[in-house]
Amino acid sequence: MRKLFAIIVCKLGHFVGKLVGKGSSMPGKFALKICPDILRRVELPRHIIAVTGSNGKTSTVEMIAAVLRADGKTVVYNEEGSNQIEGVTTLVLTHATLGGAVRADVLLIESDERYAARTFQFFHPTEFVITNLYRDQLTRNGHPEWVYDAILPALHPETKLILNADDPLSSCFARGREAVKWFGLDKCSISADAPTGAYHDGAYCPVCHAPMEYDYVHYNHIGAFRCTKCGHKKPAADYAVTAVDLEKAVVTIDGGVEIALAFRSIYNIYNILAAYSACRECGVSGDTAAAVLGNYLLKNGRMQTFRLGARHGTLLTSKHENSIAYDTNLRYIAASKRDCVVLVIVDAVSRKYFTSETSWLWDIDFDQLNVPHVKRVVLAGRYGNDLAERFSYTALENWSVETDIAAAAAALKSAGDEELYVVTCFSDRDKILSRVEKEG
Amino acid sequence: MDVRIIHFYPDLMSLYGSYANVLALKRYLERLDCDVTVESVLPGGGTDIAKGDFFCMGAGTERAARAAMEDFARYAQPLKAAAGDCAAMLFAGTAMDLIGKTVKEADGSAYEGLGLASFTTEHGKRRIVGDVYGHTDLYPEAVVGFMNKCGVVTGVETPLLTGLDLGFGNGKERGPEGFHWKNVFASQLTGPLLVKNPKLLETVAAAIYARRGKPLPVDRPLDRWAEQAYAVTEEQLRLRAQAK
Ligand SMILES: [Zn+2]
Repeated sequence: MRKLFAIIVCKLGHFVGKLVGKGSSMPGKFALKICPDILRRVELPRHIIAVTGSNGKTSTVEMIAAVLRADGKTVVYNEEGSNQIEGVTTLVLTHATLGGAVRADVLLIESDERYAARTFQFFHPTEFVITNLYRDQLTRNGHPEWVYDAILPALHPETKLILNADDPLSSCFARGREAVKWFGLDKCSISADAPTGAYHDGAYCPVCHAPMEYDYVHYNHIGAFRCTKCGHKKPAADYAVTAVDLEKAVVTIDGGVEIALAFRSIYNIYNILAAYSACRECGVSGDTAAAVLGNYLLKNGRMQTFRLGARHGTLLTSKHENSIAYDTNLRYIAASKRDCVVLVIVDAVSRKYFTSETSWLWDIDFDQLNVPHVKRVVLAGRYGNDLAERFSYTALENWSVETDIAAAAAALKSAGDEELYVVTCFSDRDKILSRVEKEG
Repeated sequence: MDVRIIHFYPDLMSLYGSYANVLALKRYLERLDCDVTVESVLPGGGTDIAKGDFFCMGAGTERAARAAMEDFARYAQPLKAAAGDCAAMLFAGTAMDLIGKTVKEADGSAYEGLGLASFTTEHGKRRIVGDVYGHTDLYPEAVVGFMNKCGVVTGVETPLLTGLDLGFGNGKERGPEGFHWKNVFASQLTGPLLVKNPKLLETVAAAIYARRGKPLPVDRPLDRWAEQAYAVTEEQLRLRAQAK
């Protein structure tokens, strides 16, 4: 009876929530109050795929859903992005019959890393994709090993893990388990010989703390790692990107399947590969997966371009407090060839209040901008002085500070016609977008 | 003046931009015409403590800190001697835990620290995260910083920050924070503490000079960006502390 009541309340709550445009976690929260173990009492689809990790969760989940649907499967997933237990409860119950059966082939869940254990205490995924684990929003997450320890209890012994072979930390989840499938990138055109970046989290083995060696990396410390002592090393990949041609924007998987890239970033390549691996594990053919993933444009994936005076501009957004996301965007600028100006905006680190937490600025490898075609860098926003202090320790000299974003935009508008790249976070982007003429 | 900075385990203990403390001190001293050498000490490596003017270690994960301690233990005697002889040192973040007597882990296990100080740290399963605004007896200006730790420290009699208006100290909300004895500066405040607090940077530099029997030169470099960033942060955190 409580189960039925919880389902009705959740469905009603979701309906009302949609009318008033409210979040997707509240109905599930009510349902959990009425029936705390509701998720154990419902009948779930045969395939339950979960995706977690520091970067790429949302994109990977979206692509998995697209492929599975193209393969004729019905998929229920949290498109609204509510990825803690309340949101998952809303998702499950709104798609359940009054009897509590979720009529779908696949339940697909993007899960918050730190709360995965709470979500999966009542049921467990058949496949669990972990994209990667590295420094991300440390005010919330502590540090990567802290997140590792939080995810570990969420991994049921019967769940098949789909892991990143190139990540020394998240690959440790395979320890003591049989059912593991690996995805990774072979050495290819974009590989570097040694880890890059402002810090080196892959210097020591996460298992035994002995020094690690690298045959090659694809970004930061993500690549072919090898512990000098305990044998922890990049495993052979079950699904591998075997070639990357960034000029033509094509990757090759397992030597034969070609996938065109809508966006030429190393992230996008890993997300595509993770999605491909998960879908193959669910019985989708390589050709079907490749047909959907080829040129796949993510919902939020279209790069925002604009005009500002005589300049053509491109907005490159990252999460604040995620240095690797920033590094990837800086790498994109460095790889571009035309003369450009870069505007870096850090105006609000926290949405709630001013915080002195600026340590993540020191984790970003701003020296990547030290290339001839980056003519000038403008540092803007309330944290402009902190950015300037950070830049004063780089090899760059062509930077200036304008803490007032409006003034920085006006100055860039009034003179010059080089390409403009704006590097900022999701919560600060409208502060520049409101001052430009958007394209497309 | 030649200055030798000895940086313990720069890759292993590198969370929250800890390395910037070394960069800030090096540049500050160079602008005072010092010849600065930075020596990185790796686990299994070695160093001659007697040759150092400044010793430092940054924040690491709890597991990294424990791994660091396995190597760090061998420097216990010479480092304690150097500290007693007024050598300047900075231990920030989890590195502070390591100079105490013992560290108890969240799983119940424990290991010994350097024993330079008599405090104990106990790691828990909850993270203590937030801005800190506090005061030190070393100078009148406020100290600003950010806390991101899971440890509670007990047994500090001579804290670095004698009182906090905002944030969690060694053992409690708004309690004293860090440890200070002679020229040993320790704080669980993470990240580039010396970048965020230009006055603390000056204090550490003065300690290095003092051990050589010299006062800090009167003409000192002013880092405009660091000063302005400090002014913004100090004002904002002060207002928040007052609003509480
Ligand atoms: Zn190892």
